[in-house]
Amino acid sequence: MIKFSNVSLIYPHSTKTIIEDLTFSIQEGEMVLVMGETGSGKSSLLRLINGLVPHHTGGILAGDISVDGISTREVKPGSLAHIVGIVGQNPLNGFVADIVEEELAFGMEALNFPHDVMRKRVEEVLDLLGLNAVRHRSIATLSGGEQQRVAIGAALVMHPKVLVLDEPTSALDPIAAEEVLSLLHRLVHDLSVTVVIAEHRLERVIQFVDRIIYIEGNGETAIGPAEEVLRTAQLVPPIIRLARALNLSEVGTSVREVRRLTDDIRAQTFETTEKIAVSSDVVIEVDELTISYGNHRALKGISTKIGAGEIVAVMGRNGAGKSSLLQAIVGSQLATKGSVWVHQKDPALLKGAERRRSIGYVPQEPSDLLYAQSVRAECAQADRDNEIAEGSTFAFLSRLVPHISEETHPNDLSEGQRLALVLSIVLSGNPELLVLDEPTRGLDYQAKNLFALALKEYASTFNRPVLLATHDVELVAELAHRVLFLAEGDIVADGSTLDVLLSSPAFAPQVAKVMSPKPWLTVSDVVQALEQQP
Amino acid sequence: MKRSLHPLTMWIWALLLITAVVLTDRAWVALGAIGVATVLVKVRSDGSPWGRSYWIALRIGAVILVIRAVVGVLIGVPIPGTTLFTFPIIDLPSWMPGIRLGGAVTLERLSSSLHEGLIIATVIALFGAATSLTSPHKVLRTLPFFIYEIGITLVIATSLFPQLAQSARRIRLAQQLRGHEKVSWRGLALPLLEESLSRSLQLAASMDSRGFGVSRKRSRYRPEKWQISDSAVVAFTLLVSSALVLA
Repeated sequence: MIKFSNVSLIYPHSTKTIIEDLTFSIQEGEMVLVMGETGSGKSSLLRLINGLVPHHTGGILAGDISVDGISTREVKPGSLAHIVGIVGQNPLNGFVADIVEEELAFGMEALNFPHDVMRKRVEEVLDLLGLNAVRHRSIATLSGGEQQRVAIGAALVMHPKVLVLDEPTSALDPIAAEEVLSLLHRLVHDLSVTVVIAEHRLERVIQFVDRIIYIEGNGETAIGPAEEVLRTAQLVPPIIRLARALNLSEVGTSVREVRRLTDDIRAQTFETTEKIAVSSDVVIEVDELTISYGNHRALKGISTKIGAGEIVAVMGRNGAGKSSLLQAIVGSQLATKGSVWVHQKDPALLKGAERRRSIGYVPQEPSDLLYAQSVRAECAQADRDNEIAEGSTFAFLSRLVPHISEETHPNDLSEGQRLALVLSIVLSGNPELLVLDEPTRGLDYQAKNLFALALKEYASTFNRPVLLATHDVELVAELAHRVLFLAEGDIVADGSTLDVLLSSPAFAPQVAKVMSPKPWLTVSDVVQALEQQP
Repeated sequence: MKRSLHPLTMWIWALLLITAVVLTDRAWVALGAIGVATVLVKVRSDGSPWGRSYWIALRIGAVILVIRAVVGVLIGVPIPGTTLFTFPIIDLPSWMPGIRLGGAVTLERLSSSLHEGLIIATVIALFGAATSLTSPHKVLRTLPFFIYEIGITLVIATSLFPQLAQSARRIRLAQQLRGHEKVSWRGLALPLLEESLSRSLQLAASMDSRGFGVSRKRSRYRPEKWQISDSAVVAFTLLVSSALVLA
């Protein structure tokens, strides 16, 4: 269906070849995962399939790509619209119409489909994707998972043979991600659609894919069945790391397979390790907090206390009130009722240097904080702001990500590097509390590890609390001491990470699913328990 | 769901009212038109992102009203009448005859400035009401094909504005939380520009890959039909407006 022969790609004014001499072919009805570090060229590879690269972006392409027998060299992306459906990283930015139905019809209108065909296909897709209930709604008011389904639907109405998706679950909570992925699985199996997907959170997709294209960053590309590529790859999901750590004879991609391989470990009995006591110094006190936007109550009178040195993850579905809680704590959202105290002070009244010293905040789009022309200028600004020795911010940054050039423009940094830069700037104020809103979107495993280490170090050396909202269960398992689980504005669970994650099947990390009912969340938990065994 | 009118109906309604307001040039007509528009927007707005544009237009109108009043009072030709208070007169060079800065402020001068401001504000508010009541996207869809191509470009440009405002708010907030109370224009403009550029590129890529512009002809998923209710609205407005103008 898709055939790459000796494809190389280079962008003008760039010395780095994005893709070098890549040859592979994908059969009809295959589901293929494209993985690689951030900035390795996954998106470019995906956009080569329908010719958006180089027709839309520029760049020099060598070799030939053909889709269903048509060479992308000779036709524009639009002429492939009925063969290749493409869903971008952020679906909201790709929507053309306001209303769900109209959005679905857009592609067919553009290709002058007759009216009766359009009506029929829109109905089909609405049913297939379970969007019938929202067909007249404005797209802007839908949830993240629904928007993603609309974007997939808009591609599907054209009856494409190939569906290309760029990180379709990165903004979704685990449940919505599951919905989208099982939908893709169904398309592959029932309709023989060929699916090519790029994703960082391998733990979510790995069980569904047939083959993997692994772009290794040094120009090398590995292609093969999932198990084969993952056996040697550097970026691997926890389930593979577990297999490696336990020296299992084979690697499995699904929980079921690995469970079968680890029966003997689960059969042993282990002494339960005692929990680490959390300090009783209360830093954040949330008391009967209610926040309303018009008629909508985002938080319904919640109360909690967060102590020094605690790393607390705020989890829950999209729209559960996570961001509202975070915003109230950093003082950007006033409470409708109730109160929030940070070190017995009202966070809404903090200003300037006092704010920098009290609360460090990393927003959902880290680049919101950046405006200087180079990494050097950003770091120098932070040094001046916080009256610390010149170069301290950059020194901290180079410890997080070595080999970063001072002259780089912040826009040219990879996602991971940019997050590291923002984190360094925020931490240069030496804040008494760190708050992060979904910090790990678009980060690969290596960048995520670095990030987790930096947060742990901050929390333990200064004995200060870290609060983060995230959908990333694996990160939470690795990092957090405690989980606050929100649903529709209420706290539905508040307890140690272990208790909360284990009790919810949807939010349990991979290792916990494999090792259930043993109380382990991460690979290191398992290894530690095995080492302590006499 | 509310019964929907033809997309052009509310625009014709707004244009007729605007004509009436401008031609009659009376404050009570203008205030009446704003009143009617407010009620209609309250009742019929469908909660889409465009629904808020009326309230924004009202705010812009109010600002213009104030500016017009201040400018009218300070600069310009004096109108004789009851003097309310007097500003010191600032002498202007002799090559600017007939224009005066400061001087006596008469009741007549103040009221005529306010009146002009009100008319301008009403025109803006009525346009805002039309946008609130029918999304401009729907209007463009009804236009003939050769305009449609230009129209879709306009749609993209206009759909960026609400998003821009939202992004600007978000970025300003983030920087305030970094402890920078006074956000410099560079601090705001650079991230904003970067974001809107990348958004437009993504939108263009999405339209491109969905076949936009491939076929010279386009079909319509939901053809808009002109109905009796549309004719009724237009006829009624026409009647009222002409009665006001002729009276």
